[in-house]
Amino acid sequence: MAQMETGGGGGGKHNGGVRSKKMSTRVDLTPMVDLAFLLISFFMLTTTLNKPKAMELNMPKKTDNEEEKQDVGECQVLNIMLDTLDQVWYYDGLKVAGLQKTTFAGDGGIRKEILRKLKAVPTECPPGKKWVDANKDKVKQPEEITMGPRDAIILIKMLKGARYKNMIDILDEMDITGCKIYAIQDPDPIEIEAVGNGGVVKEFAKEVVTN
Amino acid sequence: MPKVKIPRKSTIVDMTAMCDVSFLLLTFFILTAKFKPQSIVAVDVPTARSTKAVDNAITITVNTEGKAFISVKEKSVRFAMLEKLTEFTGDHYPGIKGLSKEQMEFFSLCDTWGSPIEETKRITSMNGLEFKKYQEEQMPGIPCDSTNNQIGDWVMAARYATNGDIKIAIKGDKDSNVEYVKQVIKRLSEKDIHRFVLITSLAAPSGAGEVPATETPAEK
Repeated sequence: MAQMETGGGGGGKHNGGVRSKKMSTRVDLTPMVDLAFLLISFFMLTTTLNKPKAMELNMPKKTDNEEEKQDVGECQVLNIMLDTLDQVWYYDGLKVAGLQKTTFAGDGGIRKEILRKLKAVPTECPPGKKWVDANKDKVKQPEEITMGPRDAIILIKMLKGARYKNMIDILDEMDITGCKIYAIQDPDPIEIEAVGNGGVVKEFAKEVVTN
Repeated sequence: MPKVKIPRKSTIVDMTAMCDVSFLLLTFFILTAKFKPQSIVAVDVPTARSTKAVDNAITITVNTEGKAFISVKEKSVRFAMLEKLTEFTGDHYPGIKGLSKEQMEFFSLCDTWGSPIEETKRITSMNGLEFKKYQEEQMPGIPCDSTNNQIGDWVMAARYATNGDIKIAIKGDKDSNVEYVKQVIKRLSEKDIHRFVLITSLAAPSGAGEVPATETPAEK
């Protein structure tokens, strides 16, 4: 394959006495090299593919310190709930009544909603304000300063009995859409009930929430 | 007139050198390859897009029944972790106090551990066969209830043993209930641990939702 016979075989041209053939001591190593490289590629591929990958998750820290707390505007928030049937439920801000159902499907699913929210928040939401007590000597009154444009905040709520895979999927979705601020929370009773009812929110719940 | 003879050159290439090199490489790869350790806890990790590798981590494996197991790769870290755990929780769990050298050695040889701290002494005095049977059949997992937060103790011990230079990896089964993983995270949050890595495997290119068709607005 990799070589051509040139020498004319074992020298059978000469006639004459019976000569013992000179056997070459050379062994053709080509198949062996083939085999070795095959094995090398096998080992290289399997070793690199088997390494586990990891995704980072930072959970919020509980704090009582007012300065560490961040003020969150209602219009920044997108709530996402994941249920046992691999369905995704979402609503904006505090409007549980606007609960909608979607899936993890590539483009039409929850990703579209996340991208919409990420795009809408910096332009539509009024910038936040913060009371700053610059010099804590109580001489100067604390003043209200206006913060820069807001970013979307996504609250992920895993309902009871949801699969772990869905949590990874939604975190992956955060990575794909480039969403920076998100948190995993426990769902509220109203949300559990709304999803349990197939997305229908009872009247009293609407009042409680919109107030 | 004599013809000019063009010496015939053989096209045979000597393969010996190439063979040497390729087998050298082969040996190198075989020797450096680390085979996936036979895991006692069978867990089917979910797929994700992330390509970050995990190194230097204490892995908390949560199986579909909600049992938690810990594993650390380096033997020296395991040994140090047990020492620290004894130091910090010895008064609380008499079952871990006063382990012999052999028992500690026994512990550091196990890459996956999933027993309550108070049983450490009993388990580390088992012989090989007994332990194998115990591992396969009745390993109860590390308690992670709000009243008995042993998983937190282990992780803190691992952090002390490595001066905090260790990541906390959580490896959950993709079909397991998310509550189990959340419970572990909650227990660790109580110990002021808020950064985790979740172990995933790389998704197949055809996986649903994995096609990077939509570019992130942040990258534009």
